[in-house]
Amino acid sequence: MLNSVSSLRSPSCTTSHIGLPVLLVCAALVLPLFNAVFPPGHPLHLSLFVVNLVGQIMCFALLALALDFVWGLLGVLSLGHGIFFGIGGYVMGFHLLNAAYADTRVLPDFMQFMGWSTFPAALQPFAALPVAVLLGLLLAVFVGGVVGLAAFRSRINGVYFSIITQALTYALMLLLFNNDLGLGGNNGLTGFTLLAGFHLAHESTQVALASLSAVVLAGVFVLLRGLAVSGFGQAMVAVRDDEARLRFLGFRTDRIKLAAWCLSAAVAALAGMLYVPQVGIINPGIVSPTLSVEIAVWVAIGGRGTLTGAVLGAVVLSCLKFWLSAEIPSAWPFVLAGITLLITVALQHGLWGGLQKLRIWKAAS
Amino acid sequence: MKSLFEPLRGTARWRRWFQHLMLACLCGPLLQAQAAMPAQERSSIVASICTDPGAYRGALDRIVQAVVGTSSADAAWGKTLLERLQAVAVICRAQGAPVFKVDHGVVDAATLEPVTEAVDELPMVPTLVLARLLKTSQAEIELFSPDVLVRRAAAQRMSQAYAQINEPLVRLALSKAADPEVIATLELALAKRSLASGSVEVRVEAIRAMGKAPSESTRSLLQKYQEDRPDMSAGERAALTQSLSQIDRALEVGKAASIFFSGLSYAGVLLITALGLSIVFGLLGVINLAHGEFIMIGAYATYVVEKWLQAHAPGWFDAYVFLAIPFAFLVCALIGIVLEMTIIRHLYKRPLETLLATWAVSIALIKLVQILFGSQNVEFITPSFLQGGVQLYPGFFVTWNRVFAIALGLVIFATAYALIRQTRFGLLIRATTQRRDTARALGIPAPSIDRLAFGLGSGLAGLAGVVLTQIASVNPSMGTSFVIDAFMVVVLGGAGSLVGTAVSSLVLGEVNQLIEPFHGAVAAKVAVLLLIVLIIQRRPQGLFALKTRG
Repeated sequence: MLNSVSSLRSPSCTTSHIGLPVLLVCAALVLPLFNAVFPPGHPLHLSLFVVNLVGQIMCFALLALALDFVWGLLGVLSLGHGIFFGIGGYVMGFHLLNAAYADTRVLPDFMQFMGWSTFPAALQPFAALPVAVLLGLLLAVFVGGVVGLAAFRSRINGVYFSIITQALTYALMLLLFNNDLGLGGNNGLTGFTLLAGFHLAHESTQVALASLSAVVLAGVFVLLRGLAVSGFGQAMVAVRDDEARLRFLGFRTDRIKLAAWCLSAAVAALAGMLYVPQVGIINPGIVSPTLSVEIAVWVAIGGRGTLTGAVLGAVVLSCLKFWLSAEIPSAWPFVLAGITLLITVALQHGLWGGLQKLRIWKAAS
Repeated sequence: MKSLFEPLRGTARWRRWFQHLMLACLCGPLLQAQAAMPAQERSSIVASICTDPGAYRGALDRIVQAVVGTSSADAAWGKTLLERLQAVAVICRAQGAPVFKVDHGVVDAATLEPVTEAVDELPMVPTLVLARLLKTSQAEIELFSPDVLVRRAAAQRMSQAYAQINEPLVRLALSKAADPEVIATLELALAKRSLASGSVEVRVEAIRAMGKAPSESTRSLLQKYQEDRPDMSAGERAALTQSLSQIDRALEVGKAASIFFSGLSYAGVLLITALGLSIVFGLLGVINLAHGEFIMIGAYATYVVEKWLQAHAPGWFDAYVFLAIPFAFLVCALIGIVLEMTIIRHLYKRPLETLLATWAVSIALIKLVQILFGSQNVEFITPSFLQGGVQLYPGFFVTWNRVFAIALGLVIFATAYALIRQTRFGLLIRATTQRRDTARALGIPAPSIDRLAFGLGSGLAGLAGVVLTQIASVNPSMGTSFVIDAFMVVVLGGAGSLVGTAVSSLVLGEVNQLIEPFHGAVAAKVAVLLLIVLIIQRRPQGLFALKTRG
């Protein structure tokens, strides 16, 4: 039986866990190199489109990492990680609106439709990038903290927790769709021009963002991995495997859960912040219940509890999605459903778990 | 005698019935003329339009009567005439009968027979007066259209042009109308007409009448009247004050009743949806994210039954709702059982993975239905016995489709309750829910019970789909939004508890409808969520938790 406790400790796997961040840092270096050094038309040239795609996929992988941290290690399945992704995305959107307004002195379209003549004071605190990033993380931790506190204190777990987080996602989406909220309603926030003084429309900015996403992903991976093999990580796994026993042993399991949960929320918000400048828009679709379930599907397909699996799942599924949605759009839901069913029913440990099994089996023979 | 008639005259409702009776007597002979209008009469109508501007009104009224009446030949002729007049294609000849210009030549205005002789005169261009009258006549005809949206638009036109409406005709339309909006609009049109009357007595009478038929529109009309006429007589003023307070009082009661009723109907649908979910969750610990898609499949099964009956047995068309009940149940139960056998069965030890697997099934089902039926809303023709409703109290209109939802919810709940409580199958389900291992040790075939219970749950979702066809729009993604509310019902009520499901459906249905009209759908959802989180702090397993041992 291969479970994540053994995989955390088995030396054969540690190398590959160092391998992933190294791979990501390499990718971060290769992206600008191949984009700038090789001229367009050269077979090794990476177009802006591809670079942008890689950057987005890095953000999805970060999101999957956040979910795997709480689902795989803590056993808490959130169907609402889109909430934190959305919080990060919207906060970054606020900042970018500020920057665009300072640049062009033209109010965003939706504010003009609302009949506002000045930039709203409520959005002005987000004008400085470091402050905005900090506020975004704090907001995600705060929201996560409130939800987590309410849920973990009263020992809501298992599918109950999943369902409640899904309902929260749905409520937030409805809220954001509301035009009166002043966040652009259906159309969301768009019309961004500048980020930290760089023009978002410039190719170099987008390449830098994609590289940054890869580096952040690598950094967060190392951080979470370090936590996972620490005493805290072992406590998380213990909560997952037998929470009651751990509680009887005198551990405050609700605090362990809350801490891990809030950290996960912050990581998801970070993913949202990196994602928005790369796609140039944020709208309520980002907090649709469907996207939140899809994150869990990435993790399940990659293999949960290993962190590497989550990244693998997000990358494979996102690539497949981008490719299939372009080639045969109507086939995508069936393919996604098929893979999900296959993995959940037949391949419990996901792609990564399957690969590991194969390796152990080979080493033994 | 006096005591016998007093209550009859006392209430507005009886008065309306009485008016309808009188109208039926008055208009009956006029509209029940079975034989078609003779050709001379048709010619004389066309001729009077051609020659005499003063006779427009009378001629148009006769045309409208022809169209609204029972003779289909006359109706077709009247429609053609109006349409030709508007299309500037009626030629009044100096010599001979008037004719219509049509695509392939010229036809006689009375008989619609082709005319052989050459016609070189120009068609008549309607004057502004005639054009306006034509519009009104068109609206009068549309008051009797089978399409409720057309009827509503026509009633609006009547209300705008209240000074020139044909009162007996409007009263006739009113007596036949079932749609609350049409009724309100037409009543308003009649009252407006009387308010503009020159005689004080008529006006006071109209004000009093409006006070006895309270609605939002009459209220705003009376207020406007009050503002427009600062110099009204004392009698009018007294009647106005009395009517306004009467309306306000009635409207408040009606509004409260309406909110309660719509909460009740929402609760009915929630109940049917959540019942299946609750049985499955209580028994298997499995949340079926594809439950919403079973609702959708149930609705599409109803659609298939409707289309089949339309094609093969139009006489039985109205029965499609009832035929769809067993059909939708069986289709959904069958799909549910297949799903259990192929997928769910392998995941019983891993409830979180079941969420993902059933989600995968749900997106595949949505796409499949999109490919088969298209992603647009499918249209349902409401059976005649579910159309319209009855006004129980001013401002409180009970529509039959919502009554149907409540009644079906109750019947299905009672059936499910009896099934679980009284039958052997129910006993086995309860035993397996409460102590799976002991039940198995006693020889209960738990896997088949699981399968059948899953089928039952899916079938119940299909029934919710049947009800929803009558009160919500049906499209491939209809289940997604609906099922989250159903999950909340299960979380609040406690999994596996039928009574808990019923109580929490009622609570959530009412809370939702209580908040939605005032603060919007988002606030309603958030309030429900907060309520649940608060209750769950005290009772983590829901209001009516079952005591189980795994």
